[in-house]
Amino acid sequence: MHKYEALVLKALKQSGELSFDGLMEKTGLGRSELLWALENLKQNGSVELESSEKATAKIGDEGKAYSTSGLPEEKLLEKLEKGAVRVSALKSGEEQIGIQWLKKKGLADIKNGMLSLTASGINALGKGIEESGLLRKLAGNPDSYATLYKEHADALRNLMSRKLITVENRRSIERIRITKKGLASAPSVKEASLIDAIDRSIIMGRRWPGKEFKQYNVNVAVESANAARRHPLRRLVGEIKDAYLSMGFQEIHGPAVESAFWVFDSLFMPQDHPARDAQDTFYISNPSTLKLDDAEYVRSMKRAHEAGWHEQWDIDAARQTVLRTHMTSVSARYVRNVIKRMLLKEQLFDMPVKLFSVGRTFRNENVDYKHLADFYQMDGVIIGKELTLSHLFDTLTKIYKRLGVEIRFKPSYFPFVEPGVEYLAYHKASNSWVEMGGAGLIRNEITGIRKKSIQVLAWGAGVERLMLMRDSSIGSIAELYGNSIGWLRKRRMM
Amino acid sequence: MPTATFDRRYFDRLMKFKITDKTLEDQCGKMGMSLESISKDEIVVESSPNRPDLLDCVGFARALKNFMHKSKKLTYSLAASKPYLEIGIGKEVGRVRPFISAFVALNVKLDDSSLANLINFSEKFCEGYGRKRRKIAMGMHDLDKVKGSVSYNAYGDESFVPLNEKKESRFSEIIKKNQKGREYGYTIRSGENGYPALKDDVGILSLIPIINSERTRVTTSTRNILVDITGMSQYLINKCADMFAATFMDIGADVRPVMLRQMGKGYMQPGLKKRFIEIELARAEKEIGVRIGFNNIISLANKMGYEAALVGKKIRFGVPEYRMDVIDEQDVVEDIAIAYGYDYIPATSLSSAQQGELNNMSRLSEHFSELMLGLGFDEMVNSYLTNDDTNFSRMRTERDADYCIRLKNPRSDNITIMRTWLLPGLMKNLGMSQHDKMPHNVFELDLAFAVKAESALERYHLAAISSHSRANFNDMKAIVQSISDAMGLGVKFSKYRHSSFIEGRCAKITIAGKEMGFFGELHPETLYNFNIEEPAVAFEMELPFI
Repeated sequence: MHKYEALVLKALKQSGELSFDGLMEKTGLGRSELLWALENLKQNGSVELESSEKATAKIGDEGKAYSTSGLPEEKLLEKLEKGAVRVSALKSGEEQIGIQWLKKKGLADIKNGMLSLTASGINALGKGIEESGLLRKLAGNPDSYATLYKEHADALRNLMSRKLITVENRRSIERIRITKKGLASAPSVKEASLIDAIDRSIIMGRRWPGKEFKQYNVNVAVESANAARRHPLRRLVGEIKDAYLSMGFQEIHGPAVESAFWVFDSLFMPQDHPARDAQDTFYISNPSTLKLDDAEYVRSMKRAHEAGWHEQWDIDAARQTVLRTHMTSVSARYVRNVIKRMLLKEQLFDMPVKLFSVGRTFRNENVDYKHLADFYQMDGVIIGKELTLSHLFDTLTKIYKRLGVEIRFKPSYFPFVEPGVEYLAYHKASNSWVEMGGAGLIRNEITGIRKKSIQVLAWGAGVERLMLMRDSSIGSIAELYGNSIGWLRKRRMM
Repeated sequence: MPTATFDRRYFDRLMKFKITDKTLEDQCGKMGMSLESISKDEIVVESSPNRPDLLDCVGFARALKNFMHKSKKLTYSLAASKPYLEIGIGKEVGRVRPFISAFVALNVKLDDSSLANLINFSEKFCEGYGRKRRKIAMGMHDLDKVKGSVSYNAYGDESFVPLNEKKESRFSEIIKKNQKGREYGYTIRSGENGYPALKDDVGILSLIPIINSERTRVTTSTRNILVDITGMSQYLINKCADMFAATFMDIGADVRPVMLRQMGKGYMQPGLKKRFIEIELARAEKEIGVRIGFNNIISLANKMGYEAALVGKKIRFGVPEYRMDVIDEQDVVEDIAIAYGYDYIPATSLSSAQQGELNNMSRLSEHFSELMLGLGFDEMVNSYLTNDDTNFSRMRTERDADYCIRLKNPRSDNITIMRTWLLPGLMKNLGMSQHDKMPHNVFELDLAFAVKAESALERYHLAAISSHSRANFNDMKAIVQSISDAMGLGVKFSKYRHSSFIEGRCAKITIAGKEMGFFGELHPETLYNFNIEEPAVAFEMELPFI
């Protein structure tokens, strides 16, 4: 209920019945406010109205002036009482209007340039002009119009056509009575009755016409709504996958719990390589070893190790179960498989074969709030003929460009590639080049193909580092794991 | 990656020309090293582990001068072939540390900085490449203090005055008490196979690979030096002798060979025999992806310290004597690429008519994740590694404890196993979110691990928790049901007991007759264990392969 309606009901509750003016006085409302409130109250059955319709005249400015000075034709009539007047002597605008109306009404006529009264004009002398009298009466009491209209319809219409008066049909409310319903709702409502929350009944019952909606303060502070969010790391992984897919790569999966053979030996990492130390790599006690099913490949790697590293190669060390330290173990399995089937002509491949993987890798770290032992890495390989460093650079540049990062290359060393490449990414915030990943052409010892009729381009990189580069709001890699809901809600998407 | 710290003034002296900091940084980058820091006193360089010759300030300067065409030092050979000294190798040493190589450097002029470099280089090399001296160790002795014949063998528990000490100690005492003994004694274990040592007529020169004698200490006034290299692979210690010999030659020493004699058979060291690798020009060009040309490739080879000559249609590369890492032509091609400059190798597009394709499991995961987000659950990412307390005890269950993948060498109690399910991680997420606005809805979709038939089982799980003041069983049932509907899983529910949940408020999820998961209202004690203050309902299921 609007406060105006409440005021009206309150006033009526005391008096039971009031005139419009009385209600205006009691409520202190203006005319239009009161009318609005009464309309609403009548609609919902809180009041009954006794009203009448009345026409009232409103006199314009010109009309007001004539109501005191008399109409132009009346003034001219009086002048003509003294005798005919030469038309050329009547020059003012008012006199011109007077001539027109005297002629129109048949009270005067022009002969030989002289304006003189007609018989009815002489008759009219003393009685005056009907319209002038009406104008004076209306100026005194505009409401008298309705009464005057009964006898002076033509003259009043004349005044209207001359735009000296305008007429309004005014319905006026005489008495206002409060109903039982009004009495019931009146005292309990203190507040205004603007529409607040809308509900089904307001919409379907079309309750809003003529009502006002409560207006809200748009500056009131609110708590943000919480959209269910993807984890930023997963979003980045998704973006990485999109980048690879758009370049025609197929996604591959592989085990996280893996034999040392696929994580290290197949990648030509000597068995005494420091990365294989328990300091760096997680070994598993259950199951402590895993089966190596590709005996032929295991034998060829044994030969390669012993020839390349000049130390005995121990198959038991290769059987040990470890948590993969890079995604390259997944690539290694596929490279071996693809090349084996290629050589045995078991399967025709659409060359070059492009593969990628993204997944969790592990490093034996002291775990605390800032350091973690698992990380995301991505890894890619391209198996094909006549592949060069130049192709490798091109592919990597394009992948990282899609991820919004500019990269450059420098020589580096990894046991399983030759030539070896390290790539650095440009970090705007620090205006420096940051190590991003490693790459190269996989050694013959691993592909098992002499002379390199088939080459394998390979690369691998951490994902979190890319994340930190792209989102400066993330302070450390560890921050990306094991989060609170509040942390996730605060993340910016862009 | 190993780093080496060089004396700046010594480096400048070796370079013989002035090199600006900026140029040095650029050149290092191009060669595959990175200049960590530079000042007027010091240069710190990180090099790759396959190039121990760059841990030596002399080798570093040599590589730079070649690379910048400031000199062309491509060959290291012995001036005289007559052995200067003979070392007899006893047969006892075979079981403990079988191989030794050696050479003599005459007329060495050492000052503080060149001596410090030799010591730093050998220490760093034996620590890293030599695998804490197990694989390779190197020692230097003042030759003028060595008397009579020299022999290498495994001896009993003898005694001598070790470096920096005044009194004699037994081998066994050195291993227990001397700092070097404690550090490297592991290489000879308890000495049951004897202690490898170098000896002359006076006594012990060195307890190998632990400590030398004070008697033959090398100082700046030492003029003639005996170098010994011992280890587990004859090939490697021979290569190592070549590398150190090159360093002594570069600082102006007259390097002479040593005859090593064992059971009548003798061989001379250092070998310093040039090794040649022949490669077709086209092969190198094809691998790098640029056209190089015959003339240019020879100059590029020289830049990297290789001799190179055209032999028929091939190029014959002479591998630098001090390089330990060149196995075959692949390594040579890399060096040519480095000399050419990675920055100048153009990018060439691969024709790519192929269609990219996601792995099926990834695609399936995306559908489930989309559903969970649509149901108003936040996505969480938690570590795969956890501990028994979180995974089992705090969840009030010992389920699967016998089948969990256990780490052999964890560094702390925080991580001892691979997670067998995802809910404990999500519980931790909620425990940390108690100050965040309710409701708390979280999910995770990722791997859980188990052991099965001596192999590792890696399965994708989907788990979710909803926690708020009116969380109830049926709300979670509705969630599981809507997932089932959307994915067409035909999930069936039946009563279940799981001690993480309140008894009678837990159900089993069955898909196509197979038990795939469960859901229910978490037991207040489970919640309490994770500091979760409001009721919570949860589910976890294995992703069915559709």
